[in-house]
Amino acid sequence: MKQLNDTIKQVAAQSLSRGDVDLVIGWQKGDLWWQSYPAFVENEQDTASLTWDPFCVANLSRYLLEEQEGKNKVAIFVKGCDALGLNQLLQDKRVDREKVYLYGIPCDGLVDHRKLEAEGFKWLSEVRKEGKELVLVGRNGEQKVNARDYMYDKCLTCRYPNPVAYDQMLGEAVEAQPEERFASVKELEEMSADERFTYWANQFSRCIRCFACRNVCPACSCRECIFDIPEPRWLGKAKELSEDQFYHIIRAYHVAGRCVDCGECTRVCPVDLPLQELNRKFIKDINELYGEYDAGVDPETEAPLVTYNTNDPAAFPES
Amino acid sequence: MSVNAEQQAFEPLIVVFGCNWCSYAGGDLAGTSRMTYPPNVRVIRVPCSSRVNPNFVLRAFQRGADGVVVAGCHPGDCHYVTGNYYARRRLSALRRFLEFIGVEPERFEVHWISGSEGAKFARVMEEVTEKIRALGPNRKMRDVR
Repeated sequence: MKQLNDTIKQVAAQSLSRGDVDLVIGWQKGDLWWQSYPAFVENEQDTASLTWDPFCVANLSRYLLEEQEGKNKVAIFVKGCDALGLNQLLQDKRVDREKVYLYGIPCDGLVDHRKLEAEGFKWLSEVRKEGKELVLVGRNGEQKVNARDYMYDKCLTCRYPNPVAYDQMLGEAVEAQPEERFASVKELEEMSADERFTYWANQFSRCIRCFACRNVCPACSCRECIFDIPEPRWLGKAKELSEDQFYHIIRAYHVAGRCVDCGECTRVCPVDLPLQELNRKFIKDINELYGEYDAGVDPETEAPLVTYNTNDPAAFPES
Repeated sequence: MSVNAEQQAFEPLIVVFGCNWCSYAGGDLAGTSRMTYPPNVRVIRVPCSSRVNPNFVLRAFQRGADGVVVAGCHPGDCHYVTGNYYARRRLSALRRFLEFIGVEPERFEVHWISGSEGAKFARVMEEVTEKIRALGPNRKMRDVR
C-alpha cells in the first residue's frame, strides 16, 4: 500500500508534465486523520498531495461529469467500484471514454473510521494496510488488527475489487471474498407488511432531504432532476412522511437496473439510512425476474429496464 | 358513529390508469353495453400503459387513493408495438418494491384489458373494489396534511 502511495504520485506527475492530461482526479488527506478527500490536481508540483490510504473510499467517477467540461483529457484513479460507476456513466452516454485516462487500483476493502472509533481507536496519526492486517499508529505506538473487522460493510460484499476498466493498472490484482449481499434484503422480506412499513417509515422519517445520496450516485446523472424542477413540482418542500417516502421510492426506482451497488448512498447519508438495501431490492428482483445483470460491468449491454423480452414474467397476476 | 358503521361506510377510491387504445375503450364498451361497475373507480386516460410513471402511482396514493390499477393492452397488442412490454418490466419492479416498503401488493395492480373486453373491464373493477374494500382504507402513503 505504501508503494502504491508513491506510484500514484509518480504517474500523476508524469502524465501532467508530458501534457497528456489537463487534470488528475485522485485523493488527498483532509484535516482529520480519517479524511481522504477527492483531489483535483492540474499542476505537476501539486501531485505530492495525492494519496492512497485505507480511507480513499470516495467514488471519483462521478466528478467527471463536471470536471470533463472544457478539458482535453482527464486522468482518474479508479478502484473496483469507481470503475463500475464509470462504466455506468459511459453506458448513459454522460462521459466520453476518449477523454478519460484510467489508472486502475486494485482494492480489497477500505476502512470505516466509525468502526475504529467505536473500538476506541481515535486520533490516529497513520493507518496503513499490510496484507490482511491494519497497522494503527497512534500516541501509544503501533497496533495491528484484522483489517476485515474494520472495513465498510459495502466492502465486505464487494465482488469487483479489481477495476473492470482501466488503461493502466497500478499494483497487483487482489482476490474477491464477497459475503452474501442480499442478506438484509431477505431478512426484511420475511417480515410482515406492517412490520416492514414501520421499519421503513421510521427510517424515511429521519431523512433531512440533503440529497447527498443523489448527488454522490454515479447512476444519478440526469442533467435535470425531477426533484429539482419547479413544474410539475413532484416533491414538496414540507417535512412530511409521504414526501420522504416519495423521494426515497423514486430515487431508488430511477437507478433501478443501473445501480452499480457501490454503496456510496449509504456511506454519505448523514442520518445513516440503509439506502443501499433499497437499491439491492431492485437488483435482486430484476435478477430474479429478468436474468442476472451486473450494472457497470459492460457499458455496451442494455440495462434491464430499458429493454424487454416478449415472454417476460410479471410480478402481478396476468389474466 | 360506531367502528362497525364506519367500516360499512368506507367506500374505497380506486384510480385506474387506462390505456387509450385498449383499456379505456374497454371501459367505454362496458358503459355503452349497459354493464355496471362500481362508482368507486376513477379512470384516467393515458396514451399507453408505459406512459404510467411511478410518480403518478405514488401521487395517487398520496392524494387519497386506496388502490391503483394500471390497465393496458394485452402483451403483443400494444398500439405502439412494444410499450406494454416495457411497462410489464417496470411495473413489476415497482409492485415488488411497494411491497418491500410495506404497502399491501393488492393495492397496486396491473391488468391487460383489450378494447373488446367490456365485460372483463367491469369484472376486474368489481373484483378490485371488493378486494380494497376488504383491506380497508390506505393510510400508508397518504399525505396527511
